[in-house]
Amino acid sequence: MFREIKKEFKIISLSTYYAIQREMLNKASFLSNVFFMILNNLSMIIQWIVLFNLKSNIAGFEFKDILLMWGMAAGTYGFAHFLFEKAFSLSSLIVDGSLDNYLVQPKNVLLSAISSQIGVSALGDLIFAYIMLILTGVTLPKFLLFTLFIVTGGIINLSIAIISGSFSFWFKNSDIIEETSSHLMISFATYPGGIFKGIVRVILYTFIPVGFVTFLPVELLLNFDLKLMLILIAVSILFITLATFMFYRGLRRYSSSNLMIARI
Amino acid sequence: MKAISVQNLKKTFRVKTKEKGLKGTFKSMLKPTYRSVEAVKGISFDVDEGEVLAFIGPNGAGKSTTIKMMTGILYPDGGSIKVLGIDPTKERKKLAYEIGTVFGQKEQLWTHLTPYDNFKFFGAIYDIDDKEVEKRIEDLKNRFELGEFINTPVRNLSLGQRIRCEIVASLIHRPKILFLDEPTIGLDPVVKDNIRKLIKQMNKEYHTTIFLTSHDISDIEKLCKRVIIINNGELVLDDTMENLKYHYLNKKIIDIKMRDDGKFSGDDNVKVLKQKGNNYKIEVDLDKTTIGEAMKSFDMDSIQDINITNVPLEDIITTIYQRSK
Amino acid sequence: MKKYIHILKAELMTSLQYLPNTAFGVFTFFIFVYIMFMVWQYIYSNPQELINGYSITQMTWYLLVTEILFTSLGGRRFCKEICKDVKSGNITYNLNKPYSYVFYALFKHLGSMVLKFIVDIIIGVALGFILIQSMPEQTVLSVILVLVTCFLAELISIFLIIAIGLLSFFIEDANPFYWLYSKMILIFGTFFPIEFFPEYIRGILRYSPIYVISYGPARLFVNFDINEFINILIAQIIYIFISYGICSFLYAKGSKRLNVNGG
Repeated sequence: MFREIKKEFKIISLSTYYAIQREMLNKASFLSNVFFMILNNLSMIIQWIVLFNLKSNIAGFEFKDILLMWGMAAGTYGFAHFLFEKAFSLSSLIVDGSLDNYLVQPKNVLLSAISSQIGVSALGDLIFAYIMLILTGVTLPKFLLFTLFIVTGGIINLSIAIISGSFSFWFKNSDIIEETSSHLMISFATYPGGIFKGIVRVILYTFIPVGFVTFLPVELLLNFDLKLMLILIAVSILFITLATFMFYRGLRRYSSSNLMIARI
Repeated sequence: MKAISVQNLKKTFRVKTKEKGLKGTFKSMLKPTYRSVEAVKGISFDVDEGEVLAFIGPNGAGKSTTIKMMTGILYPDGGSIKVLGIDPTKERKKLAYEIGTVFGQKEQLWTHLTPYDNFKFFGAIYDIDDKEVEKRIEDLKNRFELGEFINTPVRNLSLGQRIRCEIVASLIHRPKILFLDEPTIGLDPVVKDNIRKLIKQMNKEYHTTIFLTSHDISDIEKLCKRVIIINNGELVLDDTMENLKYHYLNKKIIDIKMRDDGKFSGDDNVKVLKQKGNNYKIEVDLDKTTIGEAMKSFDMDSIQDINITNVPLEDIITTIYQRSK
Repeated sequence: MKKYIHILKAELMTSLQYLPNTAFGVFTFFIFVYIMFMVWQYIYSNPQELINGYSITQMTWYLLVTEILFTSLGGRRFCKEICKDVKSGNITYNLNKPYSYVFYALFKHLGSMVLKFIVDIIIGVALGFILIQSMPEQTVLSVILVLVTCFLAELISIFLIIAIGLLSFFIEDANPFYWLYSKMILIFGTFFPIEFFPEYIRGILRYSPIYVISYGPARLFVNFDINEFINILIAQIIYIFISYGICSFLYAKGSKRLNVNGG
């Protein structure tokens, strides 16, 4: 079991390394993608400068907390996209029959498929995340917690991508579901959780679980609570388990590149 | 032990049907209609170890679907498969260590890396330790003459070189069976010949069982001893190449060139395919008559040149395809 | 001109086939407006409050109009297409065809966005009534004139995006420039009316494209004024010439470069 995991890990790191190498072939494009993403995120902060000029406290957040929240949102997004970019286009992998190559290899299909490409600009998101952490004042425990939450939140982002992408095993045109879900995740993640009430709030902790990606982690960074942290870790494990289950369920229906639409 | 044993294998796809035009688009969006297409309708066959087998059929016959089920890519709807005694649906990973696959239309290599790095990557996928991989690469490099481009990024290689690398990459883990789906598609004759030699060599030196599909009849003719033909998801023929050539379609073609005064008096058993002046091309059905009998329809003294050939394999196969429709 | 109309029609027909994708566009639009509305609800302490001269009703409708203009444009995909045309060398096929690439791209995109534009307007108005139950006062004339400025706004936007895409002639990847451009539009023209910014920024914004492609039409809708309309219209016409000029300049320079490099 342990040896298996070690071997899987070796393959993932190797393929990530090669994927990075591939993107680095064009250094100018690589660097500009990273740089512009940082700039891009920074520019969104202007929105909050204006809003905090109108009111000094928004849904219990001060400006500093907003920076932390943006860091969290960008970090989780960046983590998932940098390492597992292909998870966010799983739908097309399934429909085009591109899983074939991974299915004939003696390794985990899902892991090999999603780690075959990196998201270059996502590196910019990750860097941005830590810039935000530094701006809000960093201590070692905070740094470690922040990193932990990037991983747990990133895993939840990844899980949602896998779940929505896996719909393509059943419905051929479900790339819309994939696109919508990733859009929803990022839209809600960049606003303070406190402004959402009622049913929407419930949804944000279930179907669109940004609550566990940004709201709760930011809360924990401000007021640490061991019990909530353990719940958070458990939730992220739950999500990735669910996603893996759904993917393998769907895989039985995988139809490779066989023609799927016939016209009469 | 049999290398492959397939029993009553079935696969059905659910196909969304759609009417033409805008109205059809709306309709299929609101209320999609589905139709079942049986791609493979219960086929059975065995393959022995070390055999080179051609698995052929027209487009849409169910070839790829069958190969994909045997390699663990697709999930069968019925029947059973044992490849080296392993059930692909239950032990996909275990099977993967034992088989190699090359899909002519799909690339498995990283194009920005050199073949050498790619081979090392594949070595890691199959858990072969570094020293051993290097030894195997060296061996494969010499055997299959990859020396001149083993350190050139794959994207800079010609199509033929790429396919060679694809095949070699699938040999790193010394598979017992190699599945080749259209390995020579889009290649020029010289390269095709190269690939065929490579396949032959593999079979000879490593005793690898080869399971090959191709639309190129000469691939099959030059490589395979046994052929399985499927059409519309059903097994149409499973026989040796020898039998297929000489018995399945028991006909000969005779080309005859006669002097101007020569006479031809054909009967029903001799079919004239082509006639130009006093040159004839005739087809003789050996079930009904013999070559000797057929020759009697010609004026022996005035024959200038004669050529007796088999019906081309391509025509035999085409006939089988059409018959099985 | 006829050939361009033809291109427009063909694209419109294709876009009809991709209605689900349009539905997706509407959905993201819906979410964006919903979230921003929640933020404003939090910031306005009572419905009568005016912030920088805007009531919450005006603020919501300002947001709706700018967001309709932004999302129905589909700028990201469009910019990607132009970049791809340039990078893949597809654009060279256009060099010896009897039409201008800039107009070709313009009409092609107009065709593909018409449907979305209409759907977005309908959904946007419905959404406005659901969220805030009132609308700034309108007359038939004001609605028509606002629509005119909206159309011109989209036209200028398309030219500007083509210009950004054509930068691919000179640099490796122009897409990041589009991200930045779109973020500028979003922050300075979509989230907030320009009155929300300090005086020195406001001065710049009044002359920037944001005034003609985003702020102008929305401002007219929430607070119609015929003099303001004339100002915006003149500014838009000037901008059409400028933005088209930039496009043809970049195209001419770029295609010359292509020829020198042998494509």
